[in-house]
Amino acid sequence: MVTIAAPATLARPKTGGIRLEHIVMGGAIASLIVLVVLPLASLILGSVSSEDEGFSVGNFVRAMERPLYYRALINSLVLGAWTGLFSLLIGLPLAWAVSRTNTPFKGFIRLTASLSYLTPPFLTAIAFVNLFGPNAGLINAALRSAGLDFLTFNIFSMAGLVVVTVLHTFPFVYLLATSALESVDASYEESAQILGAGKWRTALQITAPLVAPAVLSGTLLAFVNAIALFGSQAIVGIPGRIYTLPTRIYALFDYPPQYGLASALSLIFVAITVIALFLQRGYLARRSYVTLGGKGSRPQLIDLGPFRWVMFGFTVVVFLVAIAAPYASLIGVSFIKSVGLWSWENVTLQHYRFVLFQYDVTQRAIGNSLLLAALAASLAVLIGAIIGWIDLRTQLTGRRFLDYASLIPLGLPGIVMAVALIQFWLATPFALYGTIAILLLAYTGRYIPLGVRAANASLRQVDSSLEESAHILGASWLQTMRHITLPLIRPGLFAGWLLVFVPAIQELSASILLFSSSSITVAVAIFNLYETGYIEPVSALANINMIIIGVAILIANRLGGQRATTSD
Amino acid sequence: MARIQIDNLSKHYAGGQLAAVQTFSLDIADNRFVTLLGPSGCGKTTTLRLIAGYLKPDTGTIQVDGTVVSSPEGVTPPDKRGMGMVFQNYAVWPHKTVFENVSFGLMIRRLGSAEIRTKVMAMLDLVGLQGYEDRLPSQLSGGQQQRVALARSLVVEPGILLLDEPLSNLDAKLRERMRSELKQIQRRTGITFVYVTHDQSEALALSDEIAVMHLGVLQQYGSPRDIYSRPANRVVADFMGQVNFVPGRVVGTGEARGRVALDGGPQLPVDVPAGMAHGDAVDVAIRPENIRLGAAGSGNGASMPARVAELTFLGNMNEYVVAGANEARLRVQTHPTVLFGVGDSVALEFDPRQCTVFGRQAG
Repeated sequence: MVTIAAPATLARPKTGGIRLEHIVMGGAIASLIVLVVLPLASLILGSVSSEDEGFSVGNFVRAMERPLYYRALINSLVLGAWTGLFSLLIGLPLAWAVSRTNTPFKGFIRLTASLSYLTPPFLTAIAFVNLFGPNAGLINAALRSAGLDFLTFNIFSMAGLVVVTVLHTFPFVYLLATSALESVDASYEESAQILGAGKWRTALQITAPLVAPAVLSGTLLAFVNAIALFGSQAIVGIPGRIYTLPTRIYALFDYPPQYGLASALSLIFVAITVIALFLQRGYLARRSYVTLGGKGSRPQLIDLGPFRWVMFGFTVVVFLVAIAAPYASLIGVSFIKSVGLWSWENVTLQHYRFVLFQYDVTQRAIGNSLLLAALAASLAVLIGAIIGWIDLRTQLTGRRFLDYASLIPLGLPGIVMAVALIQFWLATPFALYGTIAILLLAYTGRYIPLGVRAANASLRQVDSSLEESAHILGASWLQTMRHITLPLIRPGLFAGWLLVFVPAIQELSASILLFSSSSITVAVAIFNLYETGYIEPVSALANINMIIIGVAILIANRLGGQRATTSD
Repeated sequence: MARIQIDNLSKHYAGGQLAAVQTFSLDIADNRFVTLLGPSGCGKTTTLRLIAGYLKPDTGTIQVDGTVVSSPEGVTPPDKRGMGMVFQNYAVWPHKTVFENVSFGLMIRRLGSAEIRTKVMAMLDLVGLQGYEDRLPSQLSGGQQQRVALARSLVVEPGILLLDEPLSNLDAKLRERMRSELKQIQRRTGITFVYVTHDQSEALALSDEIAVMHLGVLQQYGSPRDIYSRPANRVVADFMGQVNFVPGRVVGTGEARGRVALDGGPQLPVDVPAGMAHGDAVDVAIRPENIRLGAAGSGNGASMPARVAELTFLGNMNEYVVAGANEARLRVQTHPTVLFGVGDSVALEFDPRQCTVFGRQAG
């Protein structure tokens, strides 16, 4: 039945030895270790060691005993909680209006949400200081001259901090809620309706429970992002004497720097972030049953009747507060000689001339920012693609660990990343501190999760048999990558690149601890200029910054869009 | 154009717990169309991927024309094996035109562009896709994509072509047509085809030899006729189409043919497996088309009385379920003109040459 032939010749099989893909994979793993694992390890090490005692938990004890530090912790939590709540109250109605109702001008709602997300939070903060500074704020001043003193609002308060933060974080709730609402299969709702439930009852008893996990997960993301924003907390919080974890850690680097305490505080910060993200992932995992429908038809839209104009009005208010007012103030202030004098003779371009040509920092900062953002985006996507490929396409032992390691930066607020990098690189013989290289490491490390996620998502769309059929036709690993895999995932990688580029070009939280005069970035330049009190040139520089971001996104979209269509 | 010798091959998944393939040995002669057949999870696709070099065996070797290409010590990577493979989902690259898909392997082999064009065009002719060379896969039907995948694998003239359920995503009519085309192409090219399927009729129609697999173990290797009418065990009998297991008892051994008495029925002169003794309980496997249905009392005494329980008209045949001795249910297929009503008493006649005897408990 079965013939068992004795092997004729026992030639050694060609195993290929070390092949190119092993070198590439090794490189990606090594960079992940250098970028993320080692800095985090030295942060932990630094927090539990002190010069005289060796191992000690003294830093943690001090962080928890002194009001200076535990108040910062409490403030961060309070800020995060309020921000989460208001992000929910703004984001959810907008998401519902867009995906489930006949509210008019939905494009306008989408635009409001994406502009709010794209606007650097420290610019919103500066704009709101322009408007609501207790003494010089434009709106406050106008209200006082109108005799409406009781309506004035002091931006340098917890309430002010919550306002400027929410305007950046509500899109998290909006985006997750929209995608959940749009992916609920219509048949779930239709079966409730055929059983006699009205539209509102269906919305409350069927749709709401289905999307609740996604909404909660968005709220937690808003929380995590809110407490990590150094810029707004420094600009609005410090003048109001509201210290939070990022600003307190920042202050610890004033001379003499207290590395141990900064590390301990950073780790406490990480713990909060990680717990929140852990909860968030849990909620998101429960969301999975929502999307099961897949091919289901689009749900019917609820006719809001006249109430739809109320929803529209709500959007207009959000737009006015989040977009119109801050940009109007930044643009307005940037073109006048000095705040308070409003007349045509007072219109000037001198602030633009100053920041662009006289203030010698600006040009260098723009160059640095563009270079850093482009390099960091390319590296994060490249490393992410290789890590994603290892995870999905190989049987490498420990590839799960790689996947987790690549997610670590999600739990590291920008300023913590900076503390960890300083700790690590100061302990090595390489003089990276103060160079542009350490900024590149910080950016790449911070945004690697975005690169991995983008690569993973697009690789999952490419069945492994597409690669295998190239292999068996004789294509080497490199040839397969070049002709098959990369062309197929290029649109996804490109989206990932943009996803990294946009936050990287406005990065402040990590840069603020890592920059030097030669490696300064636009965000840091704006922050420093603001600290010196020149509000008009700051506004001019802020507008230039927004133009750079806008143009960069446009160019990138044009390039990426073209490639995506030609490769289709 | 190539002989494949698989010797003692094993592959485990999930940390050694699950054996996908166990001590599997098979000698595939040059120029044959061989099918690995079995239900999903039987290890047939794992075996194919081991042959292709995507997986490394835990034990055993694979040789092609006498050269070891896979062993636990090392595996010649797929790109150095010179094989072809057609995947279940076709795996036609969506970003390349038909021409670019088919010419890929030739481009990797650094052929001149004129030569590439000649070969690709000839191959597209062979699979009936002339005039489609500038189309993208999204503009092709499933059957056309399948032809592209086939052309892409054949154009590099591999010695061995591996096919992983290549027809399972096509509709019934197209499947039948592709089936005969595949067979013709194999005859014409002389390439050794190793074909994986769970569809036994496909295996019967296409193969020179069939290897039936179950739970990672090779159950039987032989010609389609052998496998169908002389199944080596119950698993094979059951998998190769409908089969009745009629209980009985051995009443004679030692002669050229033994004898088995069916419970409540006649004695049949059949082959009794070696090692069985007089009085052993057995099951006699017989396919529905090998039982004759007659009016009660007919069949000169060598028949089993039964009663019609169900009747289904299938167009080209009638399918009966009849209740025999002890209400045991048997499936019988007859010509559509052999007609009885539900409840009628009938007589069953068994063709002893089509019976296979299995011990009661053991496989």
